[in-house]
Amino acid sequence: MTSMATREDDATAEAAAWLARLQRDGVTEDDGLGFEAWLAASAANRAAYRHALDVWQAFELGADDILAELATQSRRPAPRAALTRRWMMGAGGFAVAAGLAVAIMPAVIAQSTVQTYATGKGQRQRITLADGSVVDLNAETSLKVSFARSGRRVVLGEGEAIFDVAHDERRPFTVEASNRVVRVVGTQFDVRNRQGELTVTVARGKVQVRPIAAAPSGRAFLLTPGQRLEIDRTGAAQLKAVDPQETFSWRAGRLVYRDQPLSDVVDDLNRQFVEQIEIGDAELGRTPITGVVVLDDPQSVIARLSLMLPIRSVPSARGLLLLRK
Amino acid sequence: MASSGGSEGRAGDGALVSAFLEKRENLLLFLAARTRSMATAEDLVQDLYLRISSLEPGTEVRAPVALLYRMAANLMVDHVRSAQRSSRRSAQWRLDSRTAVGGEDVVDEPAADEVVIGKERVRQLADAVAALPPQMGRAFRLHKLEGLSQAQTAQAMGVSVKMIEQHIQAAIRNLTQRLRS
Repeated sequence: MTSMATREDDATAEAAAWLARLQRDGVTEDDGLGFEAWLAASAANRAAYRHALDVWQAFELGADDILAELATQSRRPAPRAALTRRWMMGAGGFAVAAGLAVAIMPAVIAQSTVQTYATGKGQRQRITLADGSVVDLNAETSLKVSFARSGRRVVLGEGEAIFDVAHDERRPFTVEASNRVVRVVGTQFDVRNRQGELTVTVARGKVQVRPIAAAPSGRAFLLTPGQRLEIDRTGAAQLKAVDPQETFSWRAGRLVYRDQPLSDVVDDLNRQFVEQIEIGDAELGRTPITGVVVLDDPQSVIARLSLMLPIRSVPSARGLLLLRK
Repeated sequence: MASSGGSEGRAGDGALVSAFLEKRENLLLFLAARTRSMATAEDLVQDLYLRISSLEPGTEVRAPVALLYRMAANLMVDHVRSAQRSSRRSAQWRLDSRTAVGGEDVVDEPAADEVVIGKERVRQLADAVAALPPQMGRAFRLHKLEGLSQAQTAQAMGVSVKMIEQHIQAAIRNLTQRLRS
């Protein structure tokens, strides 16, 4: 029994080695011939390889869902501690290097480099910043990042992004958008700046939102997890209690709506798909929607929306036109 | 000699075709290392067969199996390149793979690739990845889940390509044993 189990483990280890070797950027004829010889050597090898292949392909097919699940898990406390620890080690190293550099040439250190990121229609992008913070950009979003010793500064143009900020008390992380500054130490939150309307939703930690120095008016807010601040075009602010995971769901290809007009849903979809959706009449656009929209393709999205609302779609010059059923 | 079998009528490639038929399953398993599903690997094997049958009749083949693997390796590289180009992870991808026929959208993606993995299975797979040692887990995540090549993964992690292959190998071994059902 023992020897059989050992032989099986050996075959599994060899199968893993072959599968890994076949992932090389340039697989060659020699890789193939070596693989062929190993496969032909025993039935156990073949069985072990098939099993490893099953697992490997499951990870391929489920890649997006698994990444989304891992992202959800990392928001729970335990893995988070690991991230913070890693970041603090990095920060320590940085501080030492920076301290030395300041003594020699302060002018260079005072400057920070600015990086610009932008996404187009239908694109979502995850970027990891130099401090280990992770930013997910929704479609049609642009932001600029500049890190200096005194602080980490992001300027969000038009768009929406989720920030998962690595903890660093000495270098506050700020996001500027639409005349407001969102200031945090280490937290997770979503900032959306679309058509003059700003919303900030907090999942973890504390977030301060205040007017920028040059702003004409406005007051400061301190948001806690589960809160969302909405500031409209006129500067009127409203604080709401929300489930932050609903706001964050776009990252996993889902949009969640609670009593929001169809026109808002269509605006969001038109940022995700090249095919543009138009609404036949304004009143239809005001129809409230509550539900989850899975972002796979416009036709399927509309098909599912038509189960919630009395609508139908017809092809139009730019994509689809929504009409009353 | 006077066989009526379609492919055996040709003199030069007979050895290649019979080598192909003998090694078909192994070639399939070789190609499947880099495809999303067995169905896609089957398509590539079929492609390989078509290439073999269209070789110049009378081509002298000294080492048919070596030639088969050379052609298969080339097919694999082409496949990976085009799969990367179509960027399977974006919403755009689904739009690209559609063609409009008379105003109706038709998906021309093989149905077998549309397999949906259940929620419970996704959680199981994610848990298995989360349980990997940190460096191994990071390499697996970047290379397998985020789709970076081994060289790109090595660059992102600041280690050698060789080290990435070792991480991936250890990860496959770990995951295969853990997920043995």
